[in-house]
Amino acid sequence: MLELRNLTVHYGHTRVVDDVTLSLAPGQTLGLAGESGSGKSTVALSVLRLLPKTARVDGDVLLDGEDVRSMSWGRLRAVRWASASIVFQGAMHSLNPVHRVGDQIAEPMRLHGTSGNVGDLLEQVELPREKAQAYPHELSGGQKQRVMIAMALACGPRLVVADEPTTALDVIVQARVLGLVTRLVAERGLGLLMISHDLSVLAGTCDDLAVLHRGALVERGPAREVVARPRHPHTAALAAAFPVIGDPAHRRVGPAPAREPLLQVRDLVVDYGRTRAVDGVDLAVGRGEVVALVGRSGSGKTTLARAIMGLHKPASGRVVFDGAEVPSKGRGLKAFRRQVQLVLQDPASALNPRHRVRDAVAEGLRVHGVGGDVDALVAAAVERAELRPASRYLDSLPHELSGGQQQRVVIAGALVLQPRLLVADEPVASLDASVRGEVVALLLRLRAELGLATLLITHDLGLAWQIADRVAVMHEGAIVEEGPADRVLLAPSHECTRALVRAVPAL
Amino acid sequence: MRLAGRFGGAALSLVMVAVLGFFLFRVVPGDPVVSMTRGRPTTAAAQDALRAQFGLDRPLHEQFWSYFTGLLRGDLGTSFTFRRPVAEVIGDRIGPTLLLVGTSTLVAVLLGLWLGVRAGWRRGSVFDRVTTGASLALWSVPTFWLGMLLMMATGEVFPSRGMRDTDTAPDFVSQSLDVAHHLVLPSVTLVAVVCAEYVLVMRSSLLQETAAPYLVTARAKGLRDDLVRRRHAVPNAVLPAITLVFLRFGLVVGGAITTETVFSWPGLGLLFYDALTGPDYFLLQGLLVVTAAAVVVMNLLADLLHGVLDPRVEVV
Amino acid sequence: MSRGVFPADRAGVAGAVVLAVAALVALAAPLLVPADALDVTRVSDAAWQPPGAGHWLGTDHTGRSVALLVVRGTGTSLFVGLTAAVLSVGIGTLVGILSGHVGGLFSGALLRVTDFFLVLPSLVLAIALSTVLPRGLGTIVVAIGLTSWPSTARMVRAQTLTVEARPFVDRARALGGGHVHVVVRHVLPAVVPLVLVNATLAVASSIVAESTLAFLGLGDPTRISWGALLHQAQLHGAVPRGAWWFLLPPGLAIVVVVLAFTLVGRALEAVVTPRG
Repeated sequence: MLELRNLTVHYGHTRVVDDVTLSLAPGQTLGLAGESGSGKSTVALSVLRLLPKTARVDGDVLLDGEDVRSMSWGRLRAVRWASASIVFQGAMHSLNPVHRVGDQIAEPMRLHGTSGNVGDLLEQVELPREKAQAYPHELSGGQKQRVMIAMALACGPRLVVADEPTTALDVIVQARVLGLVTRLVAERGLGLLMISHDLSVLAGTCDDLAVLHRGALVERGPAREVVARPRHPHTAALAAAFPVIGDPAHRRVGPAPAREPLLQVRDLVVDYGRTRAVDGVDLAVGRGEVVALVGRSGSGKTTLARAIMGLHKPASGRVVFDGAEVPSKGRGLKAFRRQVQLVLQDPASALNPRHRVRDAVAEGLRVHGVGGDVDALVAAAVERAELRPASRYLDSLPHELSGGQQQRVVIAGALVLQPRLLVADEPVASLDASVRGEVVALLLRLRAELGLATLLITHDLGLAWQIADRVAVMHEGAIVEEGPADRVLLAPSHECTRALVRAVPAL
Repeated sequence: MRLAGRFGGAALSLVMVAVLGFFLFRVVPGDPVVSMTRGRPTTAAAQDALRAQFGLDRPLHEQFWSYFTGLLRGDLGTSFTFRRPVAEVIGDRIGPTLLLVGTSTLVAVLLGLWLGVRAGWRRGSVFDRVTTGASLALWSVPTFWLGMLLMMATGEVFPSRGMRDTDTAPDFVSQSLDVAHHLVLPSVTLVAVVCAEYVLVMRSSLLQETAAPYLVTARAKGLRDDLVRRRHAVPNAVLPAITLVFLRFGLVVGGAITTETVFSWPGLGLLFYDALTGPDYFLLQGLLVVTAAAVVVMNLLADLLHGVLDPRVEVV
Repeated sequence: MSRGVFPADRAGVAGAVVLAVAALVALAAPLLVPADALDVTRVSDAAWQPPGAGHWLGTDHTGRSVALLVVRGTGTSLFVGLTAAVLSVGIGTLVGILSGHVGGLFSGALLRVTDFFLVLPSLVLAIALSTVLPRGLGTIVVAIGLTSWPSTARMVRAQTLTVEARPFVDRARALGGGHVHVVVRHVLPAVVPLVLVNATLAVASSIVAESTLAFLGLGDPTRISWGALLHQAQLHGAVPRGAWWFLLPPGLAIVVVVLAFTLVGRALEAVVTPRG
């Protein structure tokens, strides 16, 4: 049904897709995995000849035996959406904000003269029929993605290309949307080409898997086999990035002794506008301990972290550090911030794009007026964060570094002040799978060598399984379950925790 | 709630306009009566009489109170040169300005948005380069100079002074044609300058949408290029552009002053010019308050219109 | 972001060349124009001469050379344009950073005032100001500068808010950085390039505003500027006489210089905010 033969795409002199040959039979489901910049989205767009004019495409793109590249404009427009449709990533921006979603679903049906009914389509994606009257901004992220899927099915295509259909969705919503896709594909006998950076998502949905690395296809085979016995080292790195909860081989910490508390949060309440984001939370992190705070998006875990750092003023409650209460402003807060360091989710935006590595790392020293040999301290911190030799990186600007290197710079900027606690908000969520393992290892090594305690905020239970001593589960602003990591993750007692564990895609 | 907030904000702005109008002409160095009578034969006693007549001898807060209550009654004080209530003088002149500004804005908005969309959609094309280049050049042209050039270039083809000839037949059709004939040059001048601004605004607004992912969706559905533009890109790009057009209504007002001065168009702009050559402070103050209030109201309208057109904005 | 983009923009380069020439003319004007050539009481040539051998751009209503008048006016127009732009952009930047950074009631009030002045017709305000203040170059600068700052303030405020919403500012705060640290190390460096662009464009609009005020007779009567020349042209009936040589040169000078500032500003803008 779909056949790519020696597909090669250039932007200027950069080769984005390199000699890719793939085929997909009717009713077959194929997952295409790859990291950012591997060319996977370019492959998706080339199926319907949607690449910008600046792209140079070589090779054949055959849709039902007809070459998309040589079609007339009229023929191409007729084929688009009727033969193959696309579920784009980021439904938030892929729907037109000023039209009702019902009209947007109906638009291709009118255009291609397909019979059918918007309400029926909405019901198939498990949305109420009335939602046709809604504008995109009135829907949640998951609902918008369902609208995108309904739109993709509108003209009854035989092939659906889904480009990162669940990225940016909450874990539980992701599980539901994936379930929906699996059901619709089976019911309608659709061909599915699903593209994702997340091997576990693909393995759970598709029969076959193909892996793209720097534009080239490095592996293809039945999903279970590719995951279980990867032949290419890159596939192995991708697979390793998604630890199996309960697998002792993936757990990187031993049983922990009871520890003296370093940070204690007592009955903390934080309001965000009119909503109560954190509602009476008690939490403790011991010296040298890694505590994972897990929960769905919007459960209040990031707000809690910001309140601990004094970036958001709590409505009531106390934060106690090393036996002393942390004041909400002034010198006392500044002294606290020297001992506690923040590591943010997206290293690219956590670094000022105009500051060189040297200045970014030295920022804390300047703020706290640390004297002595600043250059030596900076270089030592950079090496500690495993950017060696430091001299190679000190004069770089953030955009010249990879995501993993950027995150190491952020970590170096924290280490330079010799903190006792790291508050890490999704520290690996935006990193490519192959880099993730290295940053996780770095965090563990810092704990072992420096006795650094970490409060790890994450939606990723696998990460918690890998490195946390204890796990606290947050739901609607409150902590609903807390305990040693293996107990909470393997024998959850609260319904919310069970739902989170169930939503983890199984390989 | 938001609707009430909008009206409240506009009301506050109107009060600020009133306060500004008062203090601008009071808290300045120099005696208004001295400057208003400059170059005219006058005596100290006559000046005192004038001060008493305009209430300038009273304490500032009393002056402000009588000014402010007067405003609420529609009383803008008395013009020094015309010896008539300012409100009456302004009322006599408002019609021609509405005609000139209304026609010109309508034409400029329609033409500007159309040209801007065309230019932005085919960025870098010959059409785009010519349109953008011409707009930038026109944007750099002082309105009054363009008016003078047009006047000189067209010679006797179009009348260049006033709004109607004295010898036109009194019937409605002849009068209308005569006014339309007189309207050509002033409105062309105003349209040219204002339209240039609108073209640039619309073009950059559309350019910001051209990379939007929902346009890729529209193309993937099989829509023709002009449908992608008309149905998807333009409705999104027009909203911020229209807001900006209303926001910069002050630009039209400024253009109207110089245009009316050049073509002796008997509206508020020409009145402005007459008032500042006096200078007639009370007339200037009245004009400032009236034009500023008009702009504030225009902005309120823009806000409300935006709320109606854009589903993302809640009006009520 | 590379600085190499700027020379590639031909329109911007052309603008920069024009500005360099204009600046040279302004500086050299006292040398180019003999002191008594523009003194009405000493000029003996006939009035309203069309361009010809004696005066290659003709003469005005008093017999002075239009070419020399335009050269002499360059300095005034450039001076007013530059100083008014500096004043306006200075106020705008200060207000913008304050209202973007401080937050709370103060910021709300500042925003309210900015929006108020943003919608008011700035020319009307400038006319009112220059009517009540004593005539002079200073008044013109103040009248233009005080009425044109709100758009800069809005833009600087928006940029300040954008920067402060970025995680690296959170990181700086979490490191213990205070207001001064955040503003000096993070906000200012991000705002300055935009402010420069804005200042360039502000010079353009200030020159137009100056010419308009001068045309309405509100300029400094002791100085020659391009707007003041057009005021004279209008006052003494250059249009009915068909004296195009008195009308075209000052106007063209304004258009060329304003266009040059605009082109340079747009070229800088393209460098500062690269499009994807």
